[in-house]
Amino acid sequence: MKTYDVVIVGAGPAGATAAKEAAERGLKTIFFERGRKPGEKNASGCGLGPRMWREFDIMQELTPEVCPSMRAGAAARNYFVNEDGVVAGYLMTRPTESVSYEPAKSFITMNVYRSDFDPWIAQFAIDAGAELKSATLVVDLLKEDGKVIGVVDEKGEKYRGFVIGADGVISMVARQSGLRTRWQQQQVTLVPQYDFAVSPGKIDDIMGDEALAVWWSATFPAAYQVFFRDGFHVGLGNWMTWWDRNPRVYLDRCVGLPYFQRLLRILDAKPREFQVHLLPWLEYPYNTHTDNVILVGDAAGFPCPLEAEGIYPAMVTGRIAAEVAVEALSSGDTSKEALKAFDARWQKTSVGKEFEAGRELAAIWRALPFSPKETMTWFVPMMMDVLGGIFDWSQPHVRRVRQILQNVKSYAPKALPFFMQYVFPLLHKVLGDRLYKLMDPQTLAAALPKVTQMMKQEPPTTEGE
Amino acid sequence: MKIPVAGLVKRVSGTGDFISLDADKCTQCGRCIISCVMQLWKKTGDRIGLIKDYQSKCLECGACYQVCDADAIRFRYPQGGTGIIYERG
Repeated sequence: MKTYDVVIVGAGPAGATAAKEAAERGLKTIFFERGRKPGEKNASGCGLGPRMWREFDIMQELTPEVCPSMRAGAAARNYFVNEDGVVAGYLMTRPTESVSYEPAKSFITMNVYRSDFDPWIAQFAIDAGAELKSATLVVDLLKEDGKVIGVVDEKGEKYRGFVIGADGVISMVARQSGLRTRWQQQQVTLVPQYDFAVSPGKIDDIMGDEALAVWWSATFPAAYQVFFRDGFHVGLGNWMTWWDRNPRVYLDRCVGLPYFQRLLRILDAKPREFQVHLLPWLEYPYNTHTDNVILVGDAAGFPCPLEAEGIYPAMVTGRIAAEVAVEALSSGDTSKEALKAFDARWQKTSVGKEFEAGRELAAIWRALPFSPKETMTWFVPMMMDVLGGIFDWSQPHVRRVRQILQNVKSYAPKALPFFMQYVFPLLHKVLGDRLYKLMDPQTLAAALPKVTQMMKQEPPTTEGE
Repeated sequence: MKIPVAGLVKRVSGTGDFISLDADKCTQCGRCIISCVMQLWKKTGDRIGLIKDYQSKCLECGACYQVCDADAIRFRYPQGGTGIIYERG
C-alpha cells in the first residue's frame, strides 16, 4: 500500500486543479488518469468562459504555443430552423455595452480541444509536486470499517489517502462511496457530436470571430456548433428518457439541413472524429461528499444548469475541494460533517450563484430548445414573425404590422401558458418582489409617460382585412 | 444525410471485457438499444445482448449503464491506456 495525503481520481480540469492546489499546500498528492495522457478520453467540454481569467492566474499563460487548438470568439449566432428544416432566420450577438470586464468584452468563450487543454493544466499540478499516474484505471475504493480510506487500481495496487472524486459523469467514486448509484434519467443528457476539420484561414474568412452557433430547431433538439483553430464540433443532446430513436438520427438531421450542407461546402469541412458523452444537467448539486470523500466537477453534477458550461465549475470546485481537504486533514477531522464546509464554500462562489435559479433555468432549457416538437414548432415561426415580419413587401407596411400582430396573437394560446409556466417563475426567482413592482400597470404607466400619452390618443382606423 | 463513422474513431486495443449484462435483471425495456449511438445492443428473440465485437466499437460513453433502471448492465471503463483516443475532443 502506498500512502498519500490526497488521492484524486481523474486528471481532467477538476482533478488537475485539485491536485495543483493540494500539492501547492504541501500535501502529498497523486492523481490518476485512465487515458495514456489527460484529455484523450474527453469528448465534452471545449468552451473556457471569461470568468476563468479573473479567477485562475494560470489562464494568463494559455497561448497557442501550448494549446494550438485555441480560438477566441466574440460573436454567437442563433439559427432558427422551422418544421420544414428551413433556416427561417438567425440572430448574431456580441458582448454588449453592459459587459463589465476583460476578457469578457473581447470574447464570450475561448474554445479548446480537451486533448490540448487537459495535459496543459495537468502540468501545473505536476510542477507543483503532484504525482500523475496515467494509463491507470481506478476500479474501487479502499475501505476500513465501512469507511473510505483510499482507492484501488486495476492491478490491485492500493493507495491510501483522502479521496477526491474527479472521475466524471459515470463516477466510480460516487458509486462505491454510496453517494449515488447512477443519476436519475432526467439529471443527465446524452450528447453525440462530430468534429469537422477546416483550414484555419477558411474559418477566419467565413466565420470571422464567431465562437459558436446554436441551431434552435423544430425538428431536432437544439444543436451547438463550436469553432476551434482548425475545425469545429457540431453536437446536440437531450435527457436520457427523451430519445425515441438513435440520437445520431437527430444529429444527422442538423448536419443534413440544406443550410448546414452549404456551410460545409463553403468551409470545405471534412468529418474528422465522432464522439459521444454523457453530461450531467442538474437543478442543484447534492450528495457531494461523505466521510473522507469529496466529489468535484461532472462527478458531482456541477455543469451550469442553463448552458452546461462545465470546465469553469470543475476548476472552481476542484480548488475548493483541495482547500477543504487541507483544513480537514490538518484538523484531523475528515468526517462527512466536517466536509460540509465544501458545500458552504462553493455555494458562495459564482458557481453557487448559477444554481440559485437552477431549477428554473433547467426547466426552461428542457421546455424550449430540448422540446423541438412541443415548443419550437410554434416558437420559431412566432419569433421570426416578430423579428423578420416587417421586412416584407407583400403588403403596405402599416397593413403588414397589423397582420403580424394578428398572427402573433394567434400564438397566444401556446405562448402565454409557456410564459406563465417557465418564464415567469424564472423572472420571479431572479427579480423577487421587484418583478411585481415592474409589472404593476400604474408603475409601468408612470415610467413611460409617452406610452400613456399615446394610449390616450384615438386608435388608428383599421381597414377591413 | 448519414456520416459514416467507422473511420472516425481511433483506439488502442486490449480493453478487456468491460460491459456485461445480467440477463436475470434485464426487463427488456430496450432503452439501451435506443441509447447506444453505435448500435451495440441487439434484441434476438426474447433476449437483449451486446454484439460480439463491442470492444472494438464502443465509445465508452456509459449511456447503456446510465439508462438501465433495472441495474442489469455492468460497466467499467476499459483497462488504463486502452480503448478510444479522442484527438479533437
